[in-house]
Parts: sequence; structure tokens; C-alpha cells
Amino acid sequence: MSAQDHKQPENQQDNTTHFGYKTVDKNDKASMVAGVFHSVAQQYDVMNDLMSFGIHRLWKRFTIDASGVRPGNKVLDLAGGTGDLTAKFSQLVGRQGKVILADINSSMLNVGRDKLRDRGLVQNIEYVQANAEYLPFEENTFDVVTIAFGLRNVTDKDKALRSIFRVLKPGGRLLVLEFSKPEHELLNKAYDFYSFNILPKMGELVAKDGDSYQYLAESIRMHPDQETLKEMMENAGFEQTSYKNLTGGIVALHKGYKF
Amino acid sequence: MHQQALCAALEIIINQALAFNIHGTKALVPLEQKTLTLELNELGFPLSFTVNASKILVTTLEDTDEEDASCIIKTSIATLRELRREQQLTELIKQDKLDISGNIKIAQQFAAIAETLEIDWQSEIEKHIGDVATYKLGRLSNAVKEKLAFAARQIQADASEWLVHEKRLVVTESQINDFNQQVDQVSKQTDAMAKRIERLSQKLLTTDSSKG
Repeated sequence: MSAQDHKQPENQQDNTTHFGYKTVDKNDKASMVAGVFHSVAQQYDVMNDLMSFGIHRLWKRFTIDASGVRPGNKVLDLAGGTGDLTAKFSQLVGRQGKVILADINSSMLNVGRDKLRDRGLVQNIEYVQANAEYLPFEENTFDVVTIAFGLRNVTDKDKALRSIFRVLKPGGRLLVLEFSKPEHELLNKAYDFYSFNILPKMGELVAKDGDSYQYLAESIRMHPDQETLKEMMENAGFEQTSYKNLTGGIVALHKGYKF
Repeated sequence: MHQQALCAALEIIINQALAFNIHGTKALVPLEQKTLTLELNELGFPLSFTVNASKILVTTLEDTDEEDASCIIKTSIATLRELRREQQLTELIKQDKLDISGNIKIAQQFAAIAETLEIDWQSEIEKHIGDVATYKLGRLSNAVKEKLAFAARQIQADASEWLVHEKRLVVTESQINDFNQQVDQVSKQTDAMAKRIERLSQKLLTTDSSKG
């Protein structure tokens, strides 16, 4: 079953969207995604290392390096989960700067907060439970906004991108790190096999939740490809948009500026 | 992403070395939130070292715009080695081998930390494998070190024997000394002859002027 067969646009008229390969009511998606992350929050970091063979750390480093973050900057780590990006940003912006770790899911936020506090990172980090579509911040607040492996779970991605655009300062940049479409067909096939046959079993074994990892694989296939996401960012108002494929396009880092 | 892998490895090695440093991380305090950026010709991307809470973060982020909080060094790995000798600094800048911008004190402080880094490896290893094993490991490593040094000396001697005596590709030291002596001798003789010619010319000039 090809991933592309399932890809369908979100239907604005009939108020439905996708949850993995299922079509669900838009009002239900947030709570269904919440259910997934409540379930996996405690094992999230371990599973990330296992699933990506640790490469997710390099993808995140790549994002930090592309952020151009400076001491004193204000950064929003949206869908920040267990705070990997927040930890690094917090060290780079220093005491004069600030990092907001925002996530819609309270379980993920709690795990992230505990982890960062245990590492002694307390001075310049704030935690906010927020929906990316309705960011509770004033206009022109942040120098950098990142959303790593979070956008595909958002119900209305266009709305979220517009909301991010609103809170970015002029000159600020958005970085979207997200699973994407592998560049080569052979890699695509191997990746499909891995995602649908190995990943859910790994989830069952480690996180005791195979269904959530089945959703992960499906949600990746339903996520817009590189060019589509770039276009969505442009439609939201971002300029100088570009993307860089990482690990053969399994993941892509999209970048856009607000001027 | 090899850049990020390099940064991650460097960050682990540097911070581990700092954690083992017997002088602690006090020297990092004045460098808090300061950044040293190295742009090495061989790498093609910048390596930024930022100090935060007694740790050094390694990124490929380019320099900060704040002159006071950062120092950027553009150079090559070979020149970086020469930099260990402080007096070389001006000379290297003049030769365009080194370009420093920003606060040079930051670079000096980073260099000072690297110079004073001292790790008591034995006591660090002891914590993990115990006294006896560490002692045996120490002896073994000394023996290996000695053997390697001996082998290096042997290889050097054999190589010079082969180059000088067997293949006659290089002249011996005594041959060089002999040649140098001969050159000195010729040089002295030339000098003496030049002086003699000068004296004779002077004499000739005075004779001519007295006749005239």
C-alpha cells in the first residue's frame, strides 16, 4: 500500500482531516493525537534513539546550527516535547535570552520540564501548554521559532503556520524539522518496510504501544512533501523559504523568514 | 550532517576533558557566554565554541555580531599549530596566514585553558577499574610506549642508513661539515684577495697622483 494513495487534502468544507490513514472529524484530531503522546511520553526519548539509531540528535543539531540563534534571543520551541532543542537553545541564548518550550500535550511538557530541571537548565526557560494554531503570544515576540517533528500532528497546518508567522519578529526565522519524502525510490521502499513492519513492533516492545507507532508511520506518509510544505510556508507569508533534505529526505528542514 | 557529527564528538571530548581537569572549570567563568569561532581553511565551515555554565558548546553557528563577546580566527590547521608560540602572532598576521577579528582576549583565554589542561588519568581510570588493574595498565602502557619509542628510533636509524649509505640519496653530516669548511676557506681566501686588490688599487692611485 503506497503512502501516496492515502494522501488527501484536508477538507475545509466537510470539517474532516486525517489521523494517520483514518479520516476523522477535525474537532477530534487534537484529542486523538493527545492520546498518542500521553501514551508514549515516558518512553519518548528512548524510542527516538532506537527508531532513528540516534540520528535524530544530529538532525536536531543541524536545526540549531541553521537557527542563527544569538545570545539574548527569544526562541519558541513549539511542540518541543521532551526539550532536546530547548536545552541547546537555552545554553546558546544565555541569561539575557529566553526559550519558551511549548507543547499542546501536558504529559510531554511534564517529561520535558523534569528532564531539563534535572540537567540544571532553569534560568531562562518557560513552559507553556499551547496549541500551535492559536499561539498565546503577542505579535512580533520571537527571533526564532522551531517546530521539530510536531507539524504533522497539527490539525490545521496552515492555521498553525499563520499563527507562527504572527508571533515571529520581523527578520525572525521559522525552522520546521519534520519527516518528509525520501529522495530515492529504493530508500523509500526500505523506509516503508521499516516503518510499517519494524517500527510498530519496536513500539509494542519498548513503549508497550504498537498502535501509536503505527500512527507515527501513517502520519509521516500523510504529511506534505518538501515542495508542498515550502509552498504552505510561502502562503502563510514566509519569505526566502528553502529546505534541506537530511538522511536522503527521510527528514527535511524547512526554513523561512518573516520580513 | 558530518559537520554536526564532528561538533557532537568535539563537544563530548572537550567537556569530558574539562570534567577530568584537575584545575576544574574555574577558568571558564570569565568566558561565560563568550564565543570563539574558528574558520579553518581545511574544514570549509565555522566551528564555534560557546561557554555556558562551565561547559563548552560546539556548533557551526557563525559568529555573533557582538564584537565584545566573540572572536573569530580565520586560519589553517598548520598555522594554528604555529600559534602556540606567541611571538609568531604578528608575523603570521603580516603573512596573511591568520586573520583575527573581535575580542582577541577571548582567544587568549581559550588558549590558556587548553595550555593548563591537566588530567590525572590514573586516578580517573582507577575509579572505573580499581587500583591493581590501573597499576598493571599503567605498566603495560609504559612498556608499550618504550617499545614504540625504540621502534621509532630504530626505524629512523635504518632509514638514514639506507638513504645515506646504501642508496646515497643524502650526504652524511661529516660530508656537509667538510663542504661547509671548504666553503668557509674559499670565502676567507676571497675576502683576503679582495682586500689585497683594494690595497694594490689604493697604492696604484697614490703612485699615479704623486707622479702627476
